[in-house]
Amino acid sequence: MLSVCHLYPDLLNLYGDRGNVLAFLQRCRWRGIPVKLSEIKMGESIDFNQVDFLFLGGGSDREQNLMAAELEKHRDKLKEAVENGLVILSICGGYQLLGKFYRTINGEEIPGLGILDYYTVAGEERLIGNVTIEIELDGKTVKATGFENHGGRTYLGNIKPLGRVLAGYGNNGRDGTEGARYKNVFCSYLHGPLLPKNPEITDHLIKLALKHRGMEAELTPLDDTLENMANETMLKRMLK
Amino acid sequence: MRLCLSAAVIGGKISSLMSKLAGGRGSSLPGVVARRIYSRSLKKLASQIKSGVIMVTGTNGKTTTNNMIAKVLEAGGRRVIYNEEGANLITGITACFVRFSNITGSLDYDYASLEVDEASFPKVVKEVKPDIVVVTNFFRDQLDRYGELDKTVQVVKSALESLNDVTLILNADDPLAAQLGLLTGHKAVYYGIDRQEGTERAVAQTRESRFCPRCGTELHYSYYHYSQLGGYRCPSCHFKRPKPDVEGTDVSTVNGGYSTRVCFSEGCSSINLQTAGFYNLYNALAAFAVGRLLGLDNETVQAGLERYTPAIGRMERFRYRDKPCLLNLVKNPTGYNEGLATLLSIPGSKDVFMALNDNAADGRDISWIWDVDFEILARHLDELQSFTCSGTRAEEMALRLKYAGVPTSRITVIGDLESAITVSLQGEAETAYLFATYTALWPSQSILCRLAEKEEQHAVGMSSVS
Repeated sequence: MLSVCHLYPDLLNLYGDRGNVLAFLQRCRWRGIPVKLSEIKMGESIDFNQVDFLFLGGGSDREQNLMAAELEKHRDKLKEAVENGLVILSICGGYQLLGKFYRTINGEEIPGLGILDYYTVAGEERLIGNVTIEIELDGKTVKATGFENHGGRTYLGNIKPLGRVLAGYGNNGRDGTEGARYKNVFCSYLHGPLLPKNPEITDHLIKLALKHRGMEAELTPLDDTLENMANETMLKRMLK
Repeated sequence: MRLCLSAAVIGGKISSLMSKLAGGRGSSLPGVVARRIYSRSLKKLASQIKSGVIMVTGTNGKTTTNNMIAKVLEAGGRRVIYNEEGANLITGITACFVRFSNITGSLDYDYASLEVDEASFPKVVKEVKPDIVVVTNFFRDQLDRYGELDKTVQVVKSALESLNDVTLILNADDPLAAQLGLLTGHKAVYYGIDRQEGTERAVAQTRESRFCPRCGTELHYSYYHYSQLGGYRCPSCHFKRPKPDVEGTDVSTVNGGYSTRVCFSEGCSSINLQTAGFYNLYNALAAFAVGRLLGLDNETVQAGLERYTPAIGRMERFRYRDKPCLLNLVKNPTGYNEGLATLLSIPGSKDVFMALNDNAADGRDISWIWDVDFEILARHLDELQSFTCSGTRAEEMALRLKYAGVPTSRITVIGDLESAITVSLQGEAETAYLFATYTALWPSQSILCRLAEKEEQHAVGMSSVS
């Protein structure tokens, strides 16, 4: 049984990101992989050892501050779980939060959880639009599409990006990187949501989760016609 | 100055005529032209309104509420100008005044009733001073244009604070709208719907505001109508749903419409609406509150509401051969969830059409469809014959249905709107139900007008007064 954990879905429910959880669950179910979802609310305890896939999204400013305060309580356990190979997908605000700090327009530095080596600086204009990136998964290059909408610019330290920007802004609109990747943690600015129309990423996460649980990680192929059509439409539009 | 205004109005009117001759709708172009010729056009035209200016803003229900208010005022014999077709940016509002003005730039009307886009609201109130502002609700809508919801609420709040001598008409059931009364200190009239017994409504929906807008504590709800609308109170600062001055109770569905008792300080009366969609009750209650505030009697208000016919895509009815077809504009998760509830409330089998565009006016980010509770469809597959997905993001719409649990064998992707609509109309189900996002709406409507017959609203039975 794979256990999927959605952190604070009632707080962090912007931009349809729950579609990522939905995609992970459905692609397990369609293959007969037993899977269960637990939605963690504010104030509830989490046992990261019981989790195989953790999803952390973004919220509006106020809600994000509430989440940051809450996660701070679990910081050490979360860091340990990351080092032990817990599979995590973290999008937008959740991505920023795992880093060192967020510097506001007024220069104030709001500390992050400091689990991963990057920081974020608020910019004047939000970076908004469709985005295409290129990712390496098990030595195979995959083109992923999504939509970004972030005011913060993220700069990576000693950590690999998730992918390379082919069209759009990515982490900061300057260095061509998008997202971050450390062990089994995948961070990205891509909404859309990311997983449904990029099924190779979803399947990669499922495989890692199975491996982490010590289960057989061979996946039965699924019919991805609609997924590929949705992805192709955006690739064609953006990579003319 | 008068000459400038006259020139601007003439310029606007000519551009409207030209645009219509060229086949356009011309709803905001005259405003653009008039403002370019004379930048104070709107200010000068609006200052001629004799009795008052009403503005309607908020996320959902602006067009319907505004049209209902206009019908109510007209039923009371008032002369009203209003932006009927929902051109609600400053240019569209200017265009509305240009259209109703004569060529010397004078207007002879009692009221202007204007729906105003939330983001444009501050700009509009700088040129036109409202006497009454209706705030319908705040839901997540087109985030890529407005930023986040909190900011939208903030923008409207600051603009309201800049006004003097204004009465607010606020949705008591939405904490985000209702808080504006306290926050701005303006005189406020609240409308809302009482707890309904036995109405089954989706609970897994995305709710905007679970937290007290004043102190941030999680709100306690004793019931929900839909999304975050319902009966709420804050356990720590005692912010709570204000007691509505105009309240709907005993809601029942009648012939595809709604009937409700409406209670206010002096007693109760009732309204009957020939429009599907629970949310239309809120729109009618807001119009009811405006009518009463302006001194109209209950019979007049009722007569006006019953005269209301839905604007384009607000549950417009058509008939293809013998098959009823409904067209439903969808813009955000809350509106879509309500649309799905309406679809499932129609008896018999349905062919479903879903057009999803991602042009600027639709919102370029289509992620919001993942916040819509399409999963509800998978629980009613026996009555849902086919799903035809269309528009610029047709594939994405189909993908959403697939992950919601709709079998792919029932989903067809046809990018071209006309071919897709034809498939839905010719499907074997008893009813065709068409959803379209903003920029897919007009083309869908004109295709329907060509392929099917537009149905007039049924006459409404006499309503009772108690």
